[in-house]
Amino acid sequence: MDKDIADFALNHAMSNKVDYAEVRAHRGDYQELVMKNGVLDAYISLVDSGFCVRILAEGGIGFASTNKWTKEEAKTIVDIACKFARMAKRKDKITFAEEKSVKANWRVPQKKKIEDTSPETRIETITELDKFLTSQGVNIAARMFDFESSLTEKYFVNTEGSVISSHIPRIGAYGFIMVVENGKPEQAYKQFGYVGGFEALDQWKLTEQMTHEANVLRKVIKEGKGVKPMKMDLVCGPEVTGIAAHESCGHPMEADRILGREMSQAGRSFIYPNGSFWLGTRIGTALVTIVDDPTVKNSYGYYEYDDEGIKARPRYLYKNGVINEFLHNRETAAKLGTRSNGASRAMNYDREAIVRMANTFVQPGDMNEEEMFEDVKQGVYMRSFTEWNIDDKRFNQRYVGREAYWIEKGELKHPVARPVIETTTQIFWSAVDAVSKKVEYEAASCGKGDPSQGAPVLTGGPLIRLREVYVK
Amino acid sequence: MSETLAKTEEIVKKAKTLGADEVIAKTTFGRYRKTRFSNNQIDISVAWNDYATDVFLSWKKRVVGTLIRNFQNIDESVKRLFNLAEVSKENPQYGGVAKGKFGYKKSNADKALENLENPAEYVFEAIEAAKKEAGSDTNAGGILFTKFEDVYLVSSEGPMGEDHRSAIELSIRAFSQRESSGHGVECSSTIKGFDPAKAGRKAGEIARQAKNPKAGVEGRYDVIFEPLFVGSLLGIWGPMTSAYSVMIQQSIFVNKLGQKVAPDTVTLRDTPASYSLASKVFDDEGVPVKENVLINKGVLKTYLHNTSTAKIFKTETTGNAGLVMPTPWNIELDEGDMSREEMFREVKRGLYLTNTWYTRFQNYATGDFSTIPRDGIFLIEGGEIKQSWKDIRLSDNALKMLNNISGISKERQHVHWWGEADPPSLSPYILMKDVQITRPK
Repeated sequence: MDKDIADFALNHAMSNKVDYAEVRAHRGDYQELVMKNGVLDAYISLVDSGFCVRILAEGGIGFASTNKWTKEEAKTIVDIACKFARMAKRKDKITFAEEKSVKANWRVPQKKKIEDTSPETRIETITELDKFLTSQGVNIAARMFDFESSLTEKYFVNTEGSVISSHIPRIGAYGFIMVVENGKPEQAYKQFGYVGGFEALDQWKLTEQMTHEANVLRKVIKEGKGVKPMKMDLVCGPEVTGIAAHESCGHPMEADRILGREMSQAGRSFIYPNGSFWLGTRIGTALVTIVDDPTVKNSYGYYEYDDEGIKARPRYLYKNGVINEFLHNRETAAKLGTRSNGASRAMNYDREAIVRMANTFVQPGDMNEEEMFEDVKQGVYMRSFTEWNIDDKRFNQRYVGREAYWIEKGELKHPVARPVIETTTQIFWSAVDAVSKKVEYEAASCGKGDPSQGAPVLTGGPLIRLREVYVK
Repeated sequence: MSETLAKTEEIVKKAKTLGADEVIAKTTFGRYRKTRFSNNQIDISVAWNDYATDVFLSWKKRVVGTLIRNFQNIDESVKRLFNLAEVSKENPQYGGVAKGKFGYKKSNADKALENLENPAEYVFEAIEAAKKEAGSDTNAGGILFTKFEDVYLVSSEGPMGEDHRSAIELSIRAFSQRESSGHGVECSSTIKGFDPAKAGRKAGEIARQAKNPKAGVEGRYDVIFEPLFVGSLLGIWGPMTSAYSVMIQQSIFVNKLGQKVAPDTVTLRDTPASYSLASKVFDDEGVPVKENVLINKGVLKTYLHNTSTAKIFKTETTGNAGLVMPTPWNIELDEGDMSREEMFREVKRGLYLTNTWYTRFQNYATGDFSTIPRDGIFLIEGGEIKQSWKDIRLSDNALKMLNNISGISKERQHVHWWGEADPPSLSPYILMKDVQITRPK
């Protein structure tokens, strides 16, 4: 990374009489290995670096990027971005919410450094996982593991005087398995993610978790029973709580979506100006508080400053069941007359920063796990999910259980095969009548943007109990 | 030999000197431009210039890869890659890469797409066309995307060539009311005949018909799928023919070669044809690409292969490398004998679905999944659209749906949209029997 070229690009932009310009440079050291059915398919190792410029001029935005580090190329991309900004000819001009300039340098410490962890160690880790998993007496007919790490250095400067440098180590893993018993297949996948070093592996317990998944699938095939469709109580485990928080709270609270910027891709939101839902509208019971917080140390979605140079902080999206605070960047904040809350993220130098979640979770309550079940006459405990989706206004959603159990008179009974809740955001969060103290988190990749940008995020929360919802 | 091809060859030679068994270097100079719009205005225009060489290397069946930007630090990068191979683990299934010299077709890439003079005009033309159909208060959003790539490939095993790849794509979603929308796309490899207004008209027409939607009703229906929705279905069936998907059991086609998987009327191909967004002349091993018949008159004929997966399956490469993972380029469902009107007349009570998103599987091997129809959702009675619907979900099985195709139109459209209708395809309207529709409770 050549910071002088980035500074040169910013100076060249300023000479173009623009309203605002920023330059963001990235240098990433990436390693990834893929193991399929016990065979190492390939090991990829690369260093990538480049920079982008974003220009605000005459009320339009232009963006251009390159990975050629020359002054000539810098001038070229600045000129393209300026031309693009002016080409927009918008009737309502884009402005950015005012923010103070920042000078900062932040780094995430590592206990076991990624750069000191050899390819052999990484291969060995996944090989051992594969060996253990296939020696447990479960018929795993197919499996695939992906293991990756990145060391990303970023440099951000803008025409308001901000200068921010950062260094972010991140590691992630993904496991997919298919178990076959009595000729019947069931599949599961699990994702792991961490910002920091290889100490992540001590927390992940990859082998234990994937073995648990294999045993769950076998048990579901052998002992799982269907559920008679009817209204019943549903206890969601942290994984299900987390995906519901992400899909039916985090996404509809993205202000760019609320304002229509994603209308052709990820869609709009059930929350919109002059609609039935807005800030202050009740969406769930008073037990429902959902936070998006980038500042959780070592979380997969961790950052200290966003990609517009705004200091990160927790955002209380739904607070005590009420719509409380949207996720903003500077553009959406200006449109809605507020300040950015630091939700602008870009996944690489060749992508614009857009409004994103970081770590979205339901806040814990005061019940222990046993209390969550004890007065359930009959219902389902959906501990994890397989298929899921939600409509593009983020209201009509569906979660299908992967690990689930029948609850009768407060006790967990047999596994339930693929129970389904298909309901609305309002019904889901309005049915919550109990929240546990116990909290767990899952790593995920959040999809959004055009071109697409998969963002590392965390989802999670406590067990939550939904009273009298329709399960089939 | 061009200077870029020579530099690409230099990387291959360096790796061979170090002792690599097989090396492939592929250099891409890409100029990509995208204009995003919403609320009838341009939000941002983006340009990204990409200078990259993908390097693949094998040594004693250890397979490694890297990326070199703008021919920087070649010696260091290649040495690092070879050192990685030395400490990596043998892949006993690795079957090598293509050997020999090949001739390639001439690329028909369109130089005009390297730097489109005024992309905003295309966007405004599409918006105006949508407004004309759905009314002046129509609210539209979407993208205009262009690409121009110069591709140079050198393999230590013989293949060497240049390719030039271009594409232009306009996608527009128009809202006539808050919950009434339509989506249209226009896709091509060249600017010739490219008509942004056509996409706008389609989006506007569906949006107009979709006004005042009622909550849909659960049940099993005969369904007519719009080509854009069919693009999403082909995006399920096509990639499941990749040998890699089959090997990890993320496919409904495992152990079904030679078996009937669809009615006689269904013939499915993969071809990076000259009209396609994915047009190309060679794959990532330098093998000339070709048309492959995946399903012939309902019978599964082949999986998609690179040289290595072909060896495992005791067959020949289909020209679909991906060096690790064979991949489809552009799916075609052969035309049928019905007109769109005839298809509607066939439906006594059914649905017409125009687009979908968020397709997720419970189990790729069995094919159980659901997806959420969006934009125009219509109830058909007596062959005519009777009502606009909303808030439904298609919850069914991918293999069963393939088997339940009962009609295919003569008319076809080249479609692609975001990550949903992907890879690009040539899609007709299809009529399908007995599709399960669910809704939230």
